[in-house]
Amino acid sequence: MTGHDDLPTAARARRLEERLIAAGLTSDDEIDEFLTKLYGSASPVNGARMAARAWTDPAYRELLLSDGNAAAAELGFGGLSYQLRVVANTDRTHNVIVCTLCSCYPVSLLGPSPGWYKSFAYRSRTVREPRSVLAEFGVSLPDTVQVSVWDSTSEARYMVLPMRPAGTGALGADQLAALVTRNGLIGTAQV
Amino acid sequence: MTYPVGSRVRVRAGDPDHHTRMPRYVRGHTGEVVAVLERWPLPDDSARGLPPRVETCYAVRFGAADLWGRGDHTVTVDLWESYLDRP
Amino acid sequence: MGGQTGFGPVPVEADGGPPFAADWEARVYALAAVLRRRGLFNSDELRDAIERLPPEVYLGASYYERWLGAIETLVAEKGVP
Repeated sequence: MTGHDDLPTAARARRLEERLIAAGLTSDDEIDEFLTKLYGSASPVNGARMAARAWTDPAYRELLLSDGNAAAAELGFGGLSYQLRVVANTDRTHNVIVCTLCSCYPVSLLGPSPGWYKSFAYRSRTVREPRSVLAEFGVSLPDTVQVSVWDSTSEARYMVLPMRPAGTGALGADQLAALVTRNGLIGTAQV
Repeated sequence: MTYPVGSRVRVRAGDPDHHTRMPRYVRGHTGEVVAVLERWPLPDDSARGLPPRVETCYAVRFGAADLWGRGDHTVTVDLWESYLDRP
Repeated sequence: MGGQTGFGPVPVEADGGPPFAADWEARVYALAAVLRRRGLFNSDELRDAIERLPPEVYLGASYYERWLGAIETLVAEKGVP
């Protein structure tokens, strides 16, 4: 829903804000500052940098897969509010992340979640028929690859470490990071 | 911890009338612990404003054939300790 | 709702669009965060309030409309004037 359809809901949301501001529980400045900070810091570029580093540095890869929070901190993303668990794609396993109960997502490393991640269709179908869901994203996996679905039901947040594409040996860190898409970090794309 | 990696665990059955983070689709099913996670307050308590029990969470893997009767994929779900029993 | 059937195709065509379809959605997201930070409610209470929306509201409302409804519920229940 966008445009005119939103006016009643937008007005309802504003009334709620005004009630809370009048009660001294928040302010326009606080809301604005939160959003400025969100847009400025939460981005899939963060997760992409971590993946690219893991592709070129075996020790970092090991850290990323065993202690995601420490690996995030090493690249300047310390103080995560969740336990970061990173799961690696291999030529035998393809990982895909979902939150069936609501839509938990590592926002600080991937940015705010896409609408499809929050949809009833994605939340309900990914655990039951992941290949069919992946096909809707244009991802088709051979039978030799097993799909491993991770349902984010606790305070842990999941991120996929995609496989490094072939023929990228000469690329530098920034170029490698540019290959890692947000959907690749969720598991709904191959990189 | 109670359930080391590799343990078989069964998710409790039942349908609590309060908020829980035990998805319906795994209730009563048996899976394998693939990771021991951190300890967190039980959402069932926090959601009701009760002083929460703090428990270890476990990443538990289930087979699709077991959950849905078909499929060759696995589903790994993070579950608080009190959601689990030995099979 | 893991495994629940009947929800059709994933809305992939909207991929690549902004995370918030309207300003009010971003502000509701921010409002939830700042109120949690202030301690008015915790994340579990927010999820619970979303789950307690009447089924026809839950299924008929958009994602951030559900958040809005849940925050309204909690604000009333917590006695905010």
